[in-house]
Amino acid sequence: MTTVDRPSYKVIGTRPIRPDGVEKVTGKAQYGADIRPPGLVYGRVVRSPHAHARILEIDTSEAEAIPGVLAVVTSKDFPIAADKIEELGESAVNLRELSENILAHDKTLYHGHAVAAVAATSSQIAEEAAKRVKVTYEVLPPVLDVRDAMRDDAPLLNENRRTKSMDGSLSEKPSNIASIVQFKGGDVDAAFAAADHVLEREYDTTMVHQGYIEPHNSTANWNSDGTLTIWTSTQGAFVVRAQVAQVLKLPVARVRVIPLEIGGGFGGKIPIYLDPVAAMLSKKSGKPVQITMNRTEVFQASGPTSGSHIKVKAGVKDGKLTAVQASLNYEAGAYPGSAVGAGCMCMISPYNVENFDITGYDVVVNKPKTAAYRAPGAPAASFAIESLLDELVKQTGLDPLQFRLDNSSRENTSMVTGVPFPRIGAEETVRAAIDSPHYKSPIEGPNRGRGVASGFWFNAGLQSSVVVSVNPDGTINLVEGSTDIGGTRASLTMQLAETLGVGYDDIHATVVDTDSVGHNDVTGGSRTTFASGLAVHEAGLDIQRQMIQRASALLNVPEDGLEYVDAAVRAKNDSSKRISFKEIAAKSGQTGGPIVGKASLSARGVGAAFATHIADVEVDPGTGKITVLRYTAVQDVGTAIHPSYVEGQIQGGVAQGVGWAINEEYYYDEQGHLLNSSYLDYRMPTTLDLPMIETVLVEVPNPGHPYGVRGVGEVPIVPPLAAIANAVADATGHRFTALPLSPRRVVEELYGL
Amino acid sequence: MVVVIIPALMRPLFGGVNRLEVEAATLDEVLHALDERSPGFYDRLVEDGRVRPELAIAVNGEVYQMALHERLAPTTQLTIVPAIGGG
Repeated sequence: MTTVDRPSYKVIGTRPIRPDGVEKVTGKAQYGADIRPPGLVYGRVVRSPHAHARILEIDTSEAEAIPGVLAVVTSKDFPIAADKIEELGESAVNLRELSENILAHDKTLYHGHAVAAVAATSSQIAEEAAKRVKVTYEVLPPVLDVRDAMRDDAPLLNENRRTKSMDGSLSEKPSNIASIVQFKGGDVDAAFAAADHVLEREYDTTMVHQGYIEPHNSTANWNSDGTLTIWTSTQGAFVVRAQVAQVLKLPVARVRVIPLEIGGGFGGKIPIYLDPVAAMLSKKSGKPVQITMNRTEVFQASGPTSGSHIKVKAGVKDGKLTAVQASLNYEAGAYPGSAVGAGCMCMISPYNVENFDITGYDVVVNKPKTAAYRAPGAPAASFAIESLLDELVKQTGLDPLQFRLDNSSRENTSMVTGVPFPRIGAEETVRAAIDSPHYKSPIEGPNRGRGVASGFWFNAGLQSSVVVSVNPDGTINLVEGSTDIGGTRASLTMQLAETLGVGYDDIHATVVDTDSVGHNDVTGGSRTTFASGLAVHEAGLDIQRQMIQRASALLNVPEDGLEYVDAAVRAKNDSSKRISFKEIAAKSGQTGGPIVGKASLSARGVGAAFATHIADVEVDPGTGKITVLRYTAVQDVGTAIHPSYVEGQIQGGVAQGVGWAINEEYYYDEQGHLLNSSYLDYRMPTTLDLPMIETVLVEVPNPGHPYGVRGVGEVPIVPPLAAIANAVADATGHRFTALPLSPRRVVEELYGL
Repeated sequence: MVVVIIPALMRPLFGGVNRLEVEAATLDEVLHALDERSPGFYDRLVEDGRVRPELAIAVNGEVYQMALHERLAPTTQLTIVPAIGGG
């Protein structure tokens, strides 16, 4: 670990056992599908077999006649949603499109699009009834590739959609291009003309899924008093509540969402799919209804991330990256909202480039609506620029990491938006990579190669609320509302323990439902340890102030003569006058009642994340199989609150990035049928496919957080795509510009098949 | 004086410049000042009393949600950027 200006902490930086660990490894933790309210019945969704079709008729009579079927719903059972964009914490959604994605109205826009749902007394009856819902379609030609969808003569998913520019203007003609963003600075033409080396390439990535283990599920109970209770697997209970309330036109206070343990999300469990459907089935049947997607449904109909086509040109003069021009075309899926804007903004953020012209196109295609996936938009953009730079740097003869160091972004370097960076650790990650045992070791042997790549992610702040209650025995309950995906109960507990000077084991953290704490935005954007950590720190300071008030009465010292130090309050001028945290807690009933600290905030002071990765691979020239021999991920993590979790986040992100690079892809036939909607055919890496991923934690504390926290969960997925591709180029002498680098692609390209 | 960084696709509305300086104490005043230079600009950016959800405002380098009438520091730099979602 490299440490930069790191204060001495008592709890932060240690590795305690996570509070949810034992329950999870013993199988006792409750996930969404484990919930069994009395009278529970089961729901099943009817899905479109066509990628693009007009719905002419839905006949539910045969399904409704089956004994045991309690309710059938279609979009006609739902209120008509307004064609308006609603802000939902970190993201914004068009309510009409959200409603149409939950249950199609007049058209189905992708294979697996939900069109109806049934509830029955058993899952088997529900499944049979779903088959008996007769839907008459007029099949329409699908458009599946982003470049095809951008053509003037492409089939339109929505005949009324016009291209929206950042300035709010709309195109005259309808188009599948939903929106355009652009970032320009300097003079790229002049910079290219003056450059020593200029290179232009085109890159392609395919749609990939987050691959969370736990499928989407929802259990809803429309209570007799008109309130609605939902148990679900989500990254943000409050955002589920907001979306459900909007779709069903209910007052927010009448919807209670109870988040269960979550078996992975990575951005894919921010949108809602099943919750309003289960709710409406519950309303019609009078029973609590549970719907759980099977794996095929998860692949077909939940949000993967965009496939892309990216064209990029870069120029280098005297070892300096002087110009980048790029156009990024991202598949949004069936409805607008790809992360192309973020891709544009992330693309060259690791570098100080004066001249740039980067344009992004958000394009609808007949595939599922995309959702966030770890650093949304950044990995594909990084794959393109980092592959191009690798090729360019080889032309210059420079060392690839030295080139990155010489061109690195630093404090006050401007992003493409014109926004200057605060203190960041970009160059520190490159230096640490250069100094790593991995980079200093030789890469030897036939068909072996090494690649490097850097990456960037913004991280987020947003809203958090926490409540901290001090018990009479001096223990503490921390109540928070952010789904714990990556160990945040532990990381928040540790920050509170540090603020109060108490032990980790003195605090018990609980994630509660939406009725039980103030609003919390999603666990996404790598924000929870940062933003809820800020809230926890403020609540801790609130407790400190109350402890001083109580101690004043107990010690007979004015409040301004007291200070809080190391879980005790003491007189500033008389060290004999001291009372411990536990003693004050024990006397809280005599000094004013319960001691409860709280904080609600919209976090500011976000610290961006940078990473530099090194990959060694071996390519089997006979089969095209790529073996990752060694992998080192260097990342500026601000302050590692719980180093094991930080390392785990990095290793997980790398594993997903390696899968994206080598094997994973949504595979469609020409009619738009998804052909590989199972883990047998959608090949994610397992432990047998990966070496131990080495991590180097660089700590450049974020000045915007009292403990220097930066989000760590997303940037580790950014560099692996290019790091692997660059290693494969080094091993084979062939530059691959399309992912995944599957055995088939490797063999076909190496031998011109 | 508030400095506003104009994104590329909005520069044609302001004669091609990439930054403007306006006298304003709030974001709302900034956008009205820009509207005076490019009539209709305010309505392009503001819907239902807030900046369009697909856009965001970076204040001195940091994107965060702010009310139109929140007071700005006198030497603020504002940048209009696309909204970002994380995973």
